[in-house]
Amino acid sequence: MKRRDTLKLAVVAAALLSTTSLFTAHDGIAQDKKLRIGFSQATTIEPWRAQFNKDIIAEAAKHPEVELIITDGEDKTEKQVADVENLIRQEVDALLISPKESAGLTGVVTQAIDAKIPVFVLDRNVETDKYVQFVGGDNKLIGRAAGEYAVELLGGPGKAKGNVVEIWGGMGTQPAHDRHDGFHEFTDKEPGIKNLLDQQSGDWKQDQAYNIMATALRNNEKIDLVYGHNDPMAYGAYLAAKDAGREKDIKFIGIDALPGEGVTWVNNGELSATFLYATPGAEGLRQAIKYLKGEKVEKNVVLPTLKVTKENAAKIMKDNGL
Amino acid sequence: MTVMKLVSRTKLYWGLIAIFLIGIIWSPLTSSGKNIFLSSGNLLDVLRQVSTTGLIATGMTAVIITGGIDLSVGSLMAICSVVCAMLLTVPGETPALMLGVPSVLLSALVIGAWVMRFVFLNLEKSRTGISHSRDLTLDRVRGVYIPALVGIVLGAVLLFYLLPQSESKFGVLGVLLVVPAVGLLFGAINGIVIVAGRLQPFIVTLAMMVTALGIARLTAGQNNAVLPVYTGSNATADFDILRSLVFGIIPMPGIFFLVAIILYAVVLNLTPFGRFVYAIGGNEEAARLSGIESGKIKIVTYAISGLLAGIAAILYVAQYRQGKPDAGAGLELDAIAAVVIGGTSLMGGRGSLAGTFCGVLIFGLLSNILQLHNINSNLQLVLKGLIIVGTVLVQERNAREILARFRLVFPRRARSEASGEERPRKETMSLNTGGNGNETS
Repeated sequence: MKRRDTLKLAVVAAALLSTTSLFTAHDGIAQDKKLRIGFSQATTIEPWRAQFNKDIIAEAAKHPEVELIITDGEDKTEKQVADVENLIRQEVDALLISPKESAGLTGVVTQAIDAKIPVFVLDRNVETDKYVQFVGGDNKLIGRAAGEYAVELLGGPGKAKGNVVEIWGGMGTQPAHDRHDGFHEFTDKEPGIKNLLDQQSGDWKQDQAYNIMATALRNNEKIDLVYGHNDPMAYGAYLAAKDAGREKDIKFIGIDALPGEGVTWVNNGELSATFLYATPGAEGLRQAIKYLKGEKVEKNVVLPTLKVTKENAAKIMKDNGL
Repeated sequence: MTVMKLVSRTKLYWGLIAIFLIGIIWSPLTSSGKNIFLSSGNLLDVLRQVSTTGLIATGMTAVIITGGIDLSVGSLMAICSVVCAMLLTVPGETPALMLGVPSVLLSALVIGAWVMRFVFLNLEKSRTGISHSRDLTLDRVRGVYIPALVGIVLGAVLLFYLLPQSESKFGVLGVLLVVPAVGLLFGAINGIVIVAGRLQPFIVTLAMMVTALGIARLTAGQNNAVLPVYTGSNATADFDILRSLVFGIIPMPGIFFLVAIILYAVVLNLTPFGRFVYAIGGNEEAARLSGIESGKIKIVTYAISGLLAGIAAILYVAQYRQGKPDAGAGLELDAIAAVVIGGTSLMGGRGSLAGTFCGVLIFGLLSNILQLHNINSNLQLVLKGLIIVGTVLVQERNAREILARFRLVFPRRARSEASGEERPRKETMSLNTGGNGNETS
């Protein structure tokens, strides 16, 4: 008896399964089976990361067939590793990861690749090339754009003259070095440009940059241009100059161009320019969906930068609902 | 000999003077030949820069004197900065309001009731002539009902003042009322858990540090890593007063710091409360047995530490035009370092706010000097670390002792040498073992 029951059950189940699968086959995958895409974010506490998440969520909303799972690494490597392991267990269809650091997350990314999950690495690379695609900005490129504009502001190539204060991001981080190197490719060619500070790090923070600039203002009677490795630091320097009554004599350049930060400050005339360091949120998700639908994608996507000045700032803010 | 004694008594100030002299001699000059380090602008910059750490170190000093430690101050400052920025810029029922208004009510209730009870106790004292309040008993009406009523009335008055403000955005006075109350509440929770649970302050405040950081992030919300405060556009312009220069030269945060540290120093040195704080740090059991309500005193020191973190947060928001959950990250360690450099023993019972003031200034001047010389940021960290150890070493030992330890010179036979210090008995590298136990009280 028992065996016959199970047999019956199995037959019924098989029949049901085959019919449903027939249905789904007809309707395509979009209806019943959602694409589950996991995204492991390094941290959400920085404004740029917050924007990154906003971008990817906004993009996901445009694709009803996608179910996006976002995890927050809380700025800790070990937490992010656990997050990715968790996503592997959930057998997501694709994994997007923006690593907190390269070395610490390479292992778990390899694990995901071994589990046959297509991996898309965003913003910061890992030390393997078995992933499907890398999407990110190029900090050196952005540094060059900033350097070129700085030379222009100080009198143009060949005759640029002035004292430059550069406020570094975190000293141990690659983006800071890339933004420095790119910038100096242009400014170092100008004999008239003098660099006032030697590797002063504001650790990407507005308050620390404020204090560095306050001291630099005491120490130097003539400062012509401030280059902050990100917008909050450039703005912190601007505030210090403003509190010292000297903001009118100085030009401020930043990087990142977040709508609520750099772009707003440029629009207010506080910063002269900021250069977009686009978040790979939207593009990364688009590429992953493309790949899952069977299209071929490139191995490496470099997001372009954009110079934001007074002319285009207002429009960018409007586009972002500000 | 007396000169030597004087020198060792005032060791603390010598460190400060030394660093000051280094600053002057080594200072870069302006094009007109003026000393940049010594310019009033630069020195007042330093005062402004240290005021946040200084306020926190002020609260920390009393906590450390009781033998405790407060690791949560950085996170409390983070919460308070978020609450402050949110109240200033977002109208209506925000998480900041939900956190802030109950804190104010609770603080008003407790403080109002306590003050009223204090008044009644003193009246009773003068009437009966009994000098110790523990020998007094108040009847229910004066001991409980009237104080409670006063507290409730005070709370109600504040509520009527604050709630209309929540419709629009908060002004500077509202913020100055609410934000320190939030700090006070969380600080008091620290103290209550430590005392009621008889737990180590280290672990309780560590837990609070983590919890408070989480609350700060929750309050700010996922998409608001930073809450910018632009006075005049998204916040009231009168908030500017907190970063203004009084008489055109003295920065407002500096004044807050100076007033707070002087007030607290007076309280610690001249009131029974202050004596009790030292007594608890010296020997808590003995203090308790001699009738000191050690639990209450400890709770108050933690509450004040939280309160000062709240005030520091307001000044932070004013100065840097932003509130954010990582505002005070790592600040607790800066503050502890400044307190220890100032000669306060981590074992408790010994220390002073004058020392903390010196410690804070040593730190501030040092950063300023290194910055003026444009020393590489990484090297600055190394130098700071070395100078912390060096200063504490000088603070706690004298040269002869150190050399004697390494058998470079023979130790003096007489224990009571010029400095009046005992030689350390413990063979540890700890910075606070042994030492001069009778420097205070």
